[in-house]
Amino acid sequence: MITLGIDIGSLSTKSVLMENDEVVAFDVVLTGGTNRKAAETTFENVLAASGLTRGDVKFVVSTGYGRENLPFADKHVSEITCHGIGMHLRNPDIRTILEIGGQDSKAIRIDDGGRVEQFVMNDKCAAGCGRFLEVTARAMGIGLSELGEASALARNPLRISSTCAVFAETEIVSLVAVGTPVPDIVRAVHDSIAQRAVVLLRQVGISGPVGMSGGVALNSGVVRALEDKLQTSIYIVDNPQVRGAIGAAYIAQRLA
Amino acid sequence: MDFDSIAQQRATQYENMLRLIGRQRAPSEDAAPALAATRMRSVVNCDRIAEAYRADAKVAYVSEQFPTEIVFAAGVLPWNIESMSNMLAQSLDIDQVFRLTQERELSRDICSFLRGPFGMMLAECYPRPDFVLTNDQPCEGLLKTIFMSGKRYGVPTFALHTPNLLDQDALDYLVQQIEIMLTRIAGVFQSDPDPEFLRSSIVNSNRAREYYRKAALLLERHALPGVARELLEIFGMNYFGAAENIDLCKTLYEEAVVLAKAEAPTRPRVMWIGQTPGESDELLRHLGRSVDVLYWAPLWEANLMALDEEQPLRSIAERAIRYHWNAERMERDLDHISDAYQVEGYIIANTWGCRNMMAIGPTFRSLAARKRIKNLTISIDPVDRNNYAFPHIKNRVDAFLETLQ
Ligand code: SF4
Repeated sequence: MITLGIDIGSLSTKSVLMENDEVVAFDVVLTGGTNRKAAETTFENVLAASGLTRGDVKFVVSTGYGRENLPFADKHVSEITCHGIGMHLRNPDIRTILEIGGQDSKAIRIDDGGRVEQFVMNDKCAAGCGRFLEVTARAMGIGLSELGEASALARNPLRISSTCAVFAETEIVSLVAVGTPVPDIVRAVHDSIAQRAVVLLRQVGISGPVGMSGGVALNSGVVRALEDKLQTSIYIVDNPQVRGAIGAAYIAQRLA
Repeated sequence: MDFDSIAQQRATQYENMLRLIGRQRAPSEDAAPALAATRMRSVVNCDRIAEAYRADAKVAYVSEQFPTEIVFAAGVLPWNIESMSNMLAQSLDIDQVFRLTQERELSRDICSFLRGPFGMMLAECYPRPDFVLTNDQPCEGLLKTIFMSGKRYGVPTFALHTPNLLDQDALDYLVQQIEIMLTRIAGVFQSDPDPEFLRSSIVNSNRAREYYRKAALLLERHALPGVARELLEIFGMNYFGAAENIDLCKTLYEEAVVLAKAEAPTRPRVMWIGQTPGESDELLRHLGRSVDVLYWAPLWEANLMALDEEQPLRSIAERAIRYHWNAERMERDLDHISDAYQVEGYIIANTWGCRNMMAIGPTFRSLAARKRIKNLTISIDPVDRNNYAFPHIKNRVDAFLETLQ
């Protein structure tokens, strides 16, 4: 039986087609201004990639911020639940998950069946999320995907305040203006994100290895900063940006 | 101030209040109150509001959880500055009131439970008090606000200092203070305290409390739609000592008995901990679709205890001490109530600017962890809509509800 999980995030929309608990195809598009349109596009993309039609899809679970705005979804589930399941499917030993998405970050503790036991999220501000990295890259005139490599070249430790993304941007612009090397600034931004994430993780309680999902897990600079602070290696799940959609597709398999 | 000036001022204040009441918020889909007790409460509230603006009314501003029995014993109407502004904010657009506070440079970081009454006074909407009464629990900010209100109107302000620990010395000390306060209140009207008035106020309070307590106990074993909220409203209104409150609590109890017989299906129970938005608030309506929301404050042990009619001041003192935000006592109370009401989840609501809630939140979270009760901490502003919007927190609320399924 074929199901669809679709994760409509603030920055990107992801879809996963699943058949008998196996991923058949997945796709990621930018959400842009209309999340419904992004959802339609990514749905069509996975259908095209798999050679299936809409009629083949028996159940659709939507997740992410735009989950309730999807007319073809049969059910919507929060991405916290979906990331918990999505991570558990890949690595059943993981009990603590860090998920940093476009506009929030979450620490999630799951039980041995992937069910959420406890979670905490960042509050009020985009500092500590993917949006913060976007702002940083823009302020320094480099690409989002270059941030990870750039921070590896950092030489001098710096500190950037982490209470507010807008104030932090002002700080970054000032550092750029006085000629601070870009890698040092990027490293400081990663440190500040990691610092906030560690606080969240400790609030839910770290037990066993920490798994990371969400698009920011692809940023090697953030992962390095986290590993430094936690003094342990972090399990980066494959395709971390579509873990929520995988969880959604799996829930759809159970509900169909 | 002479009688004519007071009459003139209260007439203006009443007009201002009516103008404010004219600024209704758009009614929500679930606005119609289902319980007769809810409708009765509205009538009692309208009546006491109108009464307080009469030129010859004796009005005392009081703070939250002030022992109103001693106010009624003096033949005075208590005007709870905080709950009155919250009640009005539930249905009225009081943005203009908050704007006034900002124009007077009152920081927005102060909780809206305090900025609301400030704004109401600045807007000249509250009736001029004859005097002001307060106790220093649970909140210092509130104590300061109420002191300022006394200063604003140039009227006497009497305060009780409530010890935090509950022992015989503390009780003796507080009883002595209440006696002094009663004498001072009577002094405002050049009379002596009347023991008969005090006795009837205590009897009224106990009769109402007995119905209130029985309704709360029924809620332990039955799903009673609307009853938890009504208990909260009656607690917040704090009209114990007034005869009207007996009928109100009796009606609630009688409705609770009928509802208990109807055996509504049980759903997961979530305990709301912290200051609460109005019942038509989007968040509460959202929660109400999948869980039964109970409110902790009205179920506190201190709210269910009867006053000793032989030694009323001593038991008023004991209740006041029990109201103190003493972390150990609160934890014990929540632990017990969670078991009695079979609570499966806590929502710990931090009100914007409330240091008290933020300081005590970790105690509740660790209790939840120990009892394996699912919990969610949210930052909201139940009164000032400029500080919070439901979509900010909807995601985490949904995830929390999913953990209860
Ligand atoms: S919300 Fe907090 S700070 Fe404000 S009056 Fe209540 S207890 Fe005090």
